[in-house]
Amino acid sequence: MASGSGGGSLFSRNSSGNVPAMRGLVSFIADLRNARARELEEKRINKELANIRQKFRDGGLNGYQKKKYVCKLLYIYILGWNVDFGHLEAVNLISATKYSEKQIGYLAVTLFLHEEHELLHLVVNSIRKDLLDHNELNNCLALHAIANVGGKEMGEALSGDVHRLLISPASKAFVKKKAALTLLRLYRKYPNIVMNEWAERIISLMDDPDMGVALSVTSLVMALVQDNQEQYKGSYMKAANKLKRVVVDGECAEGYYYYNVPCPWIQVKLLKLLQYYPPPEDSHIRKLIREALQKIMDSALEMPKNVQQNNAQNAVLFEAINLVIHLDTEQDLMVQISTRLGKFIASRETNVRYLGLEAMTHLAARAETLDPIKKHQSIIIGSLRDRDISVRRQGLDLLYSMCDTTNAQAIVQELLRYLQSADYAIREEMVLKIAILTEKYATDVQWYVDISLRLISMAGDHVSDEVWQRVTQIVTNNEELQIYAAQNILQYVKSDCHETLVKIGGYLLGEFGHLIADSKGCSPIEQYMALNGKMRGCSSSTRAIILSCFVKFVNLFPEIKPQLLQTFRAYSHSLDSELQQRACEYLAMATMPTDDLLRTVCDEMPPFPERTSALLSRLHQKHAGTSDKRTWVVGGKDANTELKELSIAHQPTGLKRSFTNATPRDNAPSATNGTNGLNTLSSDLAGLDMSIDTNKVLKAPNLASAAHLSPDWEIGYYRLLLRSEGVLYEDAQIQIGLRTEYRGQLGCLIFYFANRSPFPMGSFTTTLDNRAAETLKTDIKGLPDTVISPEGQSQQTIMFEAKNVFEDPPTIRISYLAGSLQALTLQLPVYLHKYMDAAELSGDDFFKRWKQIGGAPREAQRIFGLVNKNRTMSMEFVRRVVHGFKWGILDGVDPNPKNLVGATVLHTTDGKFGCLLRLEPNMDTQMFRITIRATDEGVPPILIKAMEERLSQGIEGVL
Amino acid sequence: MINAVLVFNNAGQPRLTKFYTQLETSVQQRLISEIFNLVANRPNSACNFLPLPPLLANSSKSSTPTTPHNDTPSLVTYRHYATLYFIVISTSTESPLALLDLIQVFVQALDGLFENVCELDLIFNFETLHAALAEMIVGGVVVETQLDKVIEGVRSQGTVAKRPVNEGKGGLGFAGFGRGDGNIWAGR
Repeated sequence: MASGSGGGSLFSRNSSGNVPAMRGLVSFIADLRNARARELEEKRINKELANIRQKFRDGGLNGYQKKKYVCKLLYIYILGWNVDFGHLEAVNLISATKYSEKQIGYLAVTLFLHEEHELLHLVVNSIRKDLLDHNELNNCLALHAIANVGGKEMGEALSGDVHRLLISPASKAFVKKKAALTLLRLYRKYPNIVMNEWAERIISLMDDPDMGVALSVTSLVMALVQDNQEQYKGSYMKAANKLKRVVVDGECAEGYYYYNVPCPWIQVKLLKLLQYYPPPEDSHIRKLIREALQKIMDSALEMPKNVQQNNAQNAVLFEAINLVIHLDTEQDLMVQISTRLGKFIASRETNVRYLGLEAMTHLAARAETLDPIKKHQSIIIGSLRDRDISVRRQGLDLLYSMCDTTNAQAIVQELLRYLQSADYAIREEMVLKIAILTEKYATDVQWYVDISLRLISMAGDHVSDEVWQRVTQIVTNNEELQIYAAQNILQYVKSDCHETLVKIGGYLLGEFGHLIADSKGCSPIEQYMALNGKMRGCSSSTRAIILSCFVKFVNLFPEIKPQLLQTFRAYSHSLDSELQQRACEYLAMATMPTDDLLRTVCDEMPPFPERTSALLSRLHQKHAGTSDKRTWVVGGKDANTELKELSIAHQPTGLKRSFTNATPRDNAPSATNGTNGLNTLSSDLAGLDMSIDTNKVLKAPNLASAAHLSPDWEIGYYRLLLRSEGVLYEDAQIQIGLRTEYRGQLGCLIFYFANRSPFPMGSFTTTLDNRAAETLKTDIKGLPDTVISPEGQSQQTIMFEAKNVFEDPPTIRISYLAGSLQALTLQLPVYLHKYMDAAELSGDDFFKRWKQIGGAPREAQRIFGLVNKNRTMSMEFVRRVVHGFKWGILDGVDPNPKNLVGATVLHTTDGKFGCLLRLEPNMDTQMFRITIRATDEGVPPILIKAMEERLSQGIEGVL
Repeated sequence: MINAVLVFNNAGQPRLTKFYTQLETSVQQRLISEIFNLVANRPNSACNFLPLPPLLANSSKSSTPTTPHNDTPSLVTYRHYATLYFIVISTSTESPLALLDLIQVFVQALDGLFENVCELDLIFNFETLHAALAEMIVGGVVVETQLDKVIEGVRSQGTVAKRPVNEGKGGLGFAGFGRGDGNIWAGR
């Protein structure tokens, strides 16, 4: 592939006559390269900067000279030196007429300026001029500049022009693709610049025959989808279809095969896009996706020798695995990938191990059961000892995610063991994760206390404040922990331990020291000695905690009051103002004549209010801040179900734990935000708001809905209401034919789309909108061809199943590109009566049932006339309509021969309903009286409504 | 999205720095040297991915202008070719292997543009280097991956200049870092 360079010798350097070499620049670079030491380089650069500054100040430079000096500045900048002048000269270059000068100007703008730079508003007009230019190269330069430095101001001024370049049929592919990504950048900066009306047009570009355009538009759509799922839902079908065409049908332009893999980048993008929607309902789309995924799995089975091909294949494979995990419905594929992943994590290829572990972490985040992963537990634990830190990190994430009550003890043990030798870079995260697991899966008191304290003593400096504070909160809120925790922490404090443990000790002994005062070795004086012994070696914040502990001791253990007072006195001369103040206050309080105040102040701490676990918030901070939303987070299924509620860290993870029960938590109702001693904590504990997007675009109109029906839709609709086949719509460009068949509760509609224009129709798309989704189930059985040639035809089958009585017929949006975007919205003649079968009844039976059903509410009646004086009615017309509404006409039942009596049965999945009709036309007054009774009260009004609409038209009406 | 593309040589000298999120020059330099240290210390057998340590992620986050969408870089994907490191810094939502492939295409495109590209070409033709990158990545998102189209896109701008005659290939011990034949790419 790389040998393609031989082709265009016209431009290759051997004969590049059209670019005048800048000798000054070349010799400057050469000088710098010859500079042997950094000081020499600096000297040379300073000399040059002075020179350039002088030249610019003198002015009168021609375009070439300006370009040369800006080039030098650029080079200096690339070497890492700050260039703080010459920006204006650079900006001026972009309005040069010579392309080479313009190009350097744009390069300088993108490198020197940032989106809030004041010079930028000077260039908006030059950029607009280049956007409107007929020369595509200038368009590209302008687009590229916007994509690099475009902010809100530029977005507002230029987004319209960018959009025009994107959709104009006259735009070349290489302009379109850049316009798409420029729009993406502007959208990210300022979502409102993408108009709601653009959605349909942008989606249609995903079908662009040029792979580069399709790729970049897919990127754009992917970003839009994340904020506007509903509005861009048409992209799902497009993506599924495109994926299948690329993967299975090999529909990929020649040059886009990358080492025999058809454009892996677009495959990855499409697979990713599909993960932003819930699994599809339509069996056809599911089938498309399944086929594509299976094909990807199969072709990854062969392991090519070529590194690049292997890479590309795996890139697609891993994204496919992510999609399978996301869909979570394809059992076959799920089984395949868990075995596949098992092999990957043991692979000799480091990249494969790394990605295998990552994919397995995704699996653990979603899977119903962790059993397939647990099978590999020993290999995963082994990955903690991998030579590569990247792999070790992934192993840690996976172990964290695959933890549950059954394996928590083993995994936590293993992590603790590894912690001692772990890299400093990941220790803090490890400590957090161990602490979370310990809290989450603790089933007995001792284990929680033992592990937490051991963790803190081992990790020492890598323990963030959240960790030890959380331990004190948990102990405070769980009575059964208090004695054991107090005993243990005292042992730690007595020995040579880390300062963090002293902090915990200070807090816990102050609160619960009296609970253990009778035990051996835990007498008040021993507790005092232990803490006092630590005073010297600790930081002032720890000393402050110990002083507070001592004032509590004054309340709890009057017998050691003299020693305590002595300590306070000593610290009331401390140089540290915080300590001094505390000591003085505590001293005053302890020496008051009555101990009322002391007792109130030192009362037992109330339980902490339930709050978000600071540990989780802290952990999730690491994953925050990507514009592409992640579809999952590291952590087990719990973490991900919470994600769905958009409140990952807001979920209070109960401080009050039940240690006898294996269920993770009983969510006690959140207490009020009481104030307590550690109140200052709450700011640190503030949760992290994951993905509430403040820039939500206003609710967009659904163009496929009945509110947007195209003119003349009703002609075909009424025609087909009474017939099973015919033309639904036609105009100069398109004819839409429809054939229908109903059997029981199932209806099958086959659409025939014929192109009547002399041009091909591109990106042919249909979108269904079903207002009665609860009772009318739709299933799209196929998609029309994306391109319909002139005089060509394409078809599509859609199934409609009546689950129960429904009222509103569905609508369909048909759009295609013929130069510009053309679109129609039509109402489909899928009405309740289509699911009815005419019934034969004798007169006696009819009257019997008529009486059985009775009057209201299971009866409806209407009296109405013709809508228009010019219309008339005849017996023949009335009979035809009644017949068309699928009534079995029972002759001779009604004594008046002009009256019509009918019976029919409505089929739905939930059951059959019998319906009876009495229609009394009055030819003289041109009026009707219609009465319908049915075994379900929902049916008569719906049938009457449609029949009235139809009958009141009379003949000479629409037909 | 892709936050930055960096190229530097074995000595840590930057040859291409392109940031798609705006950073101050000093922060950029600190980032480059830190990333170079991280990457250069990894053995050849290590994988091509390196989750960005929080230290860096924090420093770069705090200095970006506050925008509604803040893309925190969290993954370094890199490849090492003879004397040069090609590095892509991206958010965790990019496919790492696809980025690896992207680097490969970029290198092949440069090779196509310069005929047996070597480090010197990149030094003297930084504008071509940027042009090639611009053909492949726009605003931090991949725009084109087809080798011929990238090359054609750069050539149509007519900027592929001559390497200066007085500088021979490998003048200071810089060997070419790729060969014309697509099959023997030694990059890891």
